[in-house]
Amino acid sequence: MENQFDIHKIANLCFNLINNSNYDAKASEIYYNKVNYKKVEIEENSIKNNEMGSHYGISIRVINKSGSLGFAYTNNLKDISINKMVNNALKLMNSGTSDPDFLNLPNEPKDYPKVNGLFDKEIHNLQLEEFLDHANQLIDLCKKEKKAISQSAKLSSISSKTLIMNSNGIDAEIEETSCSVNSNMIVKDRISGERSFGYDWQAVRYFSELDSFEVGKNALDDALTNLHRKKIESKSLPIILSPKATINFILDPIASAIDGESFQYNRSFLVGMRGKKIGSDLLNIKDNALVDGAIGSAPFDSEGVPGKNKIIVSKGKLLENGLLHNSYTAGKEGVSSTGNGFRGSYKSLPSINPTNLILEPGNHNIDEMIGEIKEGIFIGYTGDRPNISTGDFSGLIMHGNLIKNGEILDPLNETMFGINLLDLFKRIEAISKEFKILGSYKAPYIKIKEMRIIGSENR
Amino acid sequence: MERLDILKIFDNKLIDQINKITLDEIEYWDLRVGITKGTTIEFTNQKSKEISNYEINKCGLRTFINGGWGFYVLNEINKDVILMAFKQAISLAKFSKSLTKTNFNIKKRDPLEKNYKIHEKNNLLSTGIEEKIQIVKDHERKASEFSNKIKNTKTIYTDGSSSELFLNSFGSNIYLEIPILRLFSLVYAKDDGIIQRAINSVGGLGGFEILQTDKARNLSRKSAEEAVNLLNAKSPVGGKFTVIMDPKLTGTFVHEAFGHAVEADHVLGEESILLDKISQKIAMEDVTIVDDPRMGQGKRFNLPYELFGSYFIDSEGILSQETVIVEDGILKNYLHSLETASRMNVEPNGHGRATSPSLRPQARMGITVLKPGNWSLEEMIKDTKNGILCEDFQYGYTDTTTGNFQFKCKNSYRIENGEKKELMRDVALSGMTLETLNRITALGKELSYSDGMCGKGGQSVRVCDGGPYIRVDNVTVGGLS
Repeated sequence: MENQFDIHKIANLCFNLINNSNYDAKASEIYYNKVNYKKVEIEENSIKNNEMGSHYGISIRVINKSGSLGFAYTNNLKDISINKMVNNALKLMNSGTSDPDFLNLPNEPKDYPKVNGLFDKEIHNLQLEEFLDHANQLIDLCKKEKKAISQSAKLSSISSKTLIMNSNGIDAEIEETSCSVNSNMIVKDRISGERSFGYDWQAVRYFSELDSFEVGKNALDDALTNLHRKKIESKSLPIILSPKATINFILDPIASAIDGESFQYNRSFLVGMRGKKIGSDLLNIKDNALVDGAIGSAPFDSEGVPGKNKIIVSKGKLLENGLLHNSYTAGKEGVSSTGNGFRGSYKSLPSINPTNLILEPGNHNIDEMIGEIKEGIFIGYTGDRPNISTGDFSGLIMHGNLIKNGEILDPLNETMFGINLLDLFKRIEAISKEFKILGSYKAPYIKIKEMRIIGSENR
Repeated sequence: MERLDILKIFDNKLIDQINKITLDEIEYWDLRVGITKGTTIEFTNQKSKEISNYEINKCGLRTFINGGWGFYVLNEINKDVILMAFKQAISLAKFSKSLTKTNFNIKKRDPLEKNYKIHEKNNLLSTGIEEKIQIVKDHERKASEFSNKIKNTKTIYTDGSSSELFLNSFGSNIYLEIPILRLFSLVYAKDDGIIQRAINSVGGLGGFEILQTDKARNLSRKSAEEAVNLLNAKSPVGGKFTVIMDPKLTGTFVHEAFGHAVEADHVLGEESILLDKISQKIAMEDVTIVDDPRMGQGKRFNLPYELFGSYFIDSEGILSQETVIVEDGILKNYLHSLETASRMNVEPNGHGRATSPSLRPQARMGITVLKPGNWSLEEMIKDTKNGILCEDFQYGYTDTTTGNFQFKCKNSYRIENGEKKELMRDVALSGMTLETLNRITALGKELSYSDGMCGKGGQSVRVCDGGPYIRVDNVTVGGLS
């Protein structure tokens, strides 16, 4: 319903303005992104808000011969604003410092890999009313459970279009869709009055894949298994990481630690570990941009560089070329970009992000893994994050349970953990064949031989 | 006050048209528009990484009928599009109303027609890019030259000048001009294979003069000094300790562990540990906590600008005001949005806030402070046998349903028999909010505050929090050994 515009025409206007200016730009790039979204919000287990809207905007990146960068953006696509944006970017380009490491913007690739299943017509044309069945499933789950007292949840869909053009011949355009559901359940023990929350979420490319019932059920289970919390004494114990905890303890930290920029600035605890063992033989991790229908998939990144399937860790060894790069960090190192230069929107420059980050499942059965533990801890998740420059990781077990004689028992109250990540990677003893896909992560259950647990039970 | 040209379309004629469309259809509407122009400058290792400039328009319109909300977000500011968007938003609200089980009405309020402007001694928009870049360069140089152990520096300057308009169905028509500036410094030091980092920031509402205080001038030097000192810090030993929190950490406790529990949407959602606790004693007798985001508080700290968390009105057109949350240990008030106040049958107190016009307001804090007592820090340390003095935080979070909080501290010192001992790093504190409020054994005399961005429901808003040094008994401390 908003005014239509021809984005290619606007992009060409930008390139013409640059070419006809008095500034000497070595390379330039236009990035355009438009998002249409719809959202249903549930609060206090009742539909509260229905929302829809659109965001779009354009940015321009220019570099000069000495590697100095200018960047400007606007969401006002009238000619006068576009003119101002281009002039500002050019002016800023000449205000920066020279950077011999900034070689160029990416060149036009031979071709782009084919990745299927990133666009769903059903989501593109979705009416808000179509979320109703999903919303009612969530609401019913909460209503039917005696201990559940409240739920907040959100259902949303996004249909987006992205265009990247640069003066080196890149001209890449993509339409994508996704939809997601999250649920936050609150439960209460009617006798003791103790309360707890639980959550789960899902993000998918196709509307037909959305499983709100499963998400609501998982959130409810998460909340219920966290009632009747107990304090424990401090000791070192074997650990089972849930898929969410595998993301907290392994995948997220690895993603930050292999970021080309963190590495080049020596901010990563994995500096000096390339080509070396960083963990147990069981540990295999890859970053795969080319999985059909996956949330993290991308035939090209936000600079127009083709996506790839990259092995990061193989049998516990961090590969020599196991880093993630955008075109800048790659150029600095004299390698090609790995296609991991992503932007949150047109308002930001490309930083480095993983695509689909996959921890390869193992061959153990999760019930057996738990069954073998005499005394240990099941970690559901933590809200903490490690110090990436040292690998030290201490924090609070937000949801976790005691394991006794092979059974998951009491949930934990005020219980903390402490370990260095390299020790944790080395102490991986088993990986389950069962796994969860959570957004762009694929994560199994993992057994850690031992971790320091700090309880708050006074002795 | 002259309004920005692009906002002149919101004249009486358009407002009449909106009222005509919405009359008999819905109970309440509001509309927010913002036009922001700004700059970002980011340097790493004394080289420019980003020098950028932007102009962004945002507009969101909200509709309401008997407990159901509709919200429509648009990119384009023009009369026809806005009228069409209202028609859509009306059907969104009706759809919500047909489904919601929480029915309520919003009481009619007196309209507010006013213009607000923040004074800028040195106007941000007319300060040249070269001058802004020079400040960043100076900070980078100061940090790099501090020691040969400094391996990596990062300085980020951001500013934004917003012109905002708020209209609603009560007839409010409020125009605001708000300039914001923030400077970050991040420094990594390395020695003997050990890497440590320190982050500091300064921010406020006002002009370029925000960078001319001593605190701002020494920002990157402070980061450098802290990072180098942390190289020699020890890892903590886990266990139970008496902890002295510095004002920044006290502020984090007051905001993260306690403050979110008084946001009335968490109370209505039965997520809060403070549900049904109004007029009850929840803390030691000398504990008083207020939220006061009004303008004019910079002076108290000798600052030539407004505090980062201040605002004239919230995102629902309600004037900012002082709210006593806890008085002498008794819980007095929650923090309200228009919705929560209507449902709990109290007056709204100006805490319905959103990051931008394209996002929905939620109940949020502003400037949240624990009032001081009469101890000096020296007295507190001297009076502590086996404890830890914790300064500043890296991050913190809380499980609002249980009140279990967790903070990661920046600098921490062992206290043994009344003496401050060696520095420790990455000390993680955990506790239960209500137990902690009842275990405060000393309140310091001097109030200090820090500023930051607070995240909730995917939105982040400007806030300040603070208090004095406080001492708490029996806190769980995490450690690697």
